[in-house]
Amino acid sequence: MPDGSRSLASSGPSSPVLWIGRNWSLLFLLIELIVFGVFGLHFFSAENLQNILVASTTVLLLGVGETFVIISGGIDLSVGFVMGFAAVNCAKAMVLIQGAGLPEWTAVLLGAVAAVLIGLVPGLVNGLLVARLNVPPFLATFGMYGIAYGFSEIISNNTPISGLPALSGTIGNGYLLYILPGRFVRLFGRPDGLAPLELRRVIPVVPNIVVISLAFVGVFAFVLARTRFGQHTYAIGGSRDAAVRAGINVTRHLTRVYMLSSFFASVSGVIFVLRYVTGRADAGSARMLDAVVAVVIGGASLYGGTGTVRGTLIGALIIATLETGMVNLGIPTFNRYIAIGVILVAAVLIDQFFPELIEKE
Amino acid sequence: MQTSRAVKRLMVFLGERWAIVFLILLLAVFSLIAPRFFAVRNFSNILYYSTTYLLLAAGETFVIVSGGIDLSVGFVMGMVSVASSMIMRDLFAAGFSQPACMLIGAVAGLILGLIPGLISGMLVARFRVPPFIATLGMYGVANGVALNLSRGFPITFLPPRVGEIGNSFLAYVLPGRYFGFFRRPPDMSSQELRELVGILPTTVIVTAVVLAVFAFLLVRTPFGQHTYAIGGSRDAAMRAGINVPGHLVRIYVISSLFAAFAGVLYVFRAGIGNFTTMSASYELFAIAAVVIGGASLFGGKGGIGGTAIGVLILLTLENGLNIIGVQAFYRYIATGVILILAVVIDQLSPEQEAIRA
Repeated sequence: MPDGSRSLASSGPSSPVLWIGRNWSLLFLLIELIVFGVFGLHFFSAENLQNILVASTTVLLLGVGETFVIISGGIDLSVGFVMGFAAVNCAKAMVLIQGAGLPEWTAVLLGAVAAVLIGLVPGLVNGLLVARLNVPPFLATFGMYGIAYGFSEIISNNTPISGLPALSGTIGNGYLLYILPGRFVRLFGRPDGLAPLELRRVIPVVPNIVVISLAFVGVFAFVLARTRFGQHTYAIGGSRDAAVRAGINVTRHLTRVYMLSSFFASVSGVIFVLRYVTGRADAGSARMLDAVVAVVIGGASLYGGTGTVRGTLIGALIIATLETGMVNLGIPTFNRYIAIGVILVAAVLIDQFFPELIEKE
Repeated sequence: MQTSRAVKRLMVFLGERWAIVFLILLLAVFSLIAPRFFAVRNFSNILYYSTTYLLLAAGETFVIVSGGIDLSVGFVMGMVSVASSMIMRDLFAAGFSQPACMLIGAVAGLILGLIPGLISGMLVARFRVPPFIATLGMYGVANGVALNLSRGFPITFLPPRVGEIGNSFLAYVLPGRYFGFFRRPPDMSSQELRELVGILPTTVIVTAVVLAVFAFLLVRTPFGQHTYAIGGSRDAAMRAGINVPGHLVRIYVISSLFAAFAGVLYVFRAGIGNFTTMSASYELFAIAAVVIGGASLFGGKGGIGGTAIGVLILLTLENGLNIIGVQAFYRYIATGVILILAVVIDQLSPEQEAIRA
């Protein structure tokens, strides 16, 4: 592989080709934005761009967890249903805590924490199966896919959970800043006593859930790129044997990687609850494929050892832009499943035939 | 010494036949604890609902024996169900006779069903895409096509004969008064209608015939032997002169054809066409059934008979739990656990140890 990359990089004319090959996802995102901007209605309004960010949070969170797993050479097919599991647990816990007479903010906070803690269990089991019992990752997590969904349906009694504290919706649908040009900039809420006309002119900026998501994503982008934990993840994905010989505790590390994936799926489930003020078992059922695709678009190899959080972020934005743009143009959003399936296979084929395009860490 | 060897042989025997032993135990336990379980009508019900899973899992058996996996079966089934029912509906609305509508709709559905398998097969065999990725892509595409065609609604207004055929029985018996093949007695009172017993749903017979043909194909023909050979060792199969890529393409086509057949049969059973929901998890149940039936997910092992037992275990479990009032969703948990356990047992088996060593 080093030979291939040198010959491609050194021959002058082909290096722009190499650059395009490596950054095709970024170019694809730009093309998407241009196409939808030209043909869509108010596509570049502040509101629509923020909608894209909101739409990308689920795929982004699931995708960042999946990034760690895929870099380590595995795959996690359970993320969609673990997200539903966390959503159901979170909603149920909030209802119970509020029912016990505690204030709303305690219910929301404890519900979220409880859901994330319980959500670590599927990851722990996946990790132990993969790391200790050598079960192929896609099978271990495929079994967990059924198990997590079954538990979620049982916990939710096959109906969306309702009666949650109103505060969860206030947080989930609120914005960081509210600006009335020339009058005020306010954090977290509109000021009281505004005239209806003024109220309509208030511009909300940066949705809370985008802030929450980016905080987690930022921390783990750092962990992956700059810490020993991240380096070990790349090492294991590059060559498990070499990682073992280099003294890395591979078993323990892999278990943590799968727990991290479940953690992100759970955070995503909690955000679902905040946004829709309900908990459903099928909250993330359609999102597993999206998460894997976002990671693969982002340049990760399904054979392990490569991938970045930045790439996954671009992948998530591509998917969210596609969805939002399709709605904007009035194209049935069903078509996105086709597009995403095709992108997945195309990305893997590119990976197969042009290994020199993949940036090695 | 003697007893320990006997125990060992018993363990090996049970290890190989645990699926059938488990099925018998399951039937016995539910017969004892669940009222109305041990009845012709209930067994007929279990078989009726198992047809979809039997077909999906039979196709999956070929893929898994060859060392691959097909995650797209559930959505290919939904896509074919939607497409074939739309053709039936439109032809019927255009004034074609009912048999013509059904025949053209069913055949067109089966032909459409060849395409996903052809693509997955080409990707796996010629482009060396890992099977679970190629078929995961197809899972998205087939789902998108199904939703796009149906716009997210069931397809209704099919010829009425569709549902009648799909819900007919081989024989009807009204004890002491009537016995006839395929046809209900005319002019019955509602009281008589309730006492009428249908024996063997037609869909079950059709499914059984298809399974028998493909079980023969897998066990007794060079095609089947090559499938095992490829699953055992792809390199060895190649060196033995088998056209491995060509063979693998055919295997994924078979899997997708089975899914298409399940889709067409669904239309006949339900009298409507419908897309597959994300949480139906057909692929999970199909794969679990194959594994319970003794196949190894590392390839080279498995059979249609075992798969059928696997399906019956899953469906009997669901039916029995339903009767005793346990929520149906436990079956997702049970299936996930069984799948993982089967792989762990397979991993720990001496053969795999030998391969890894």
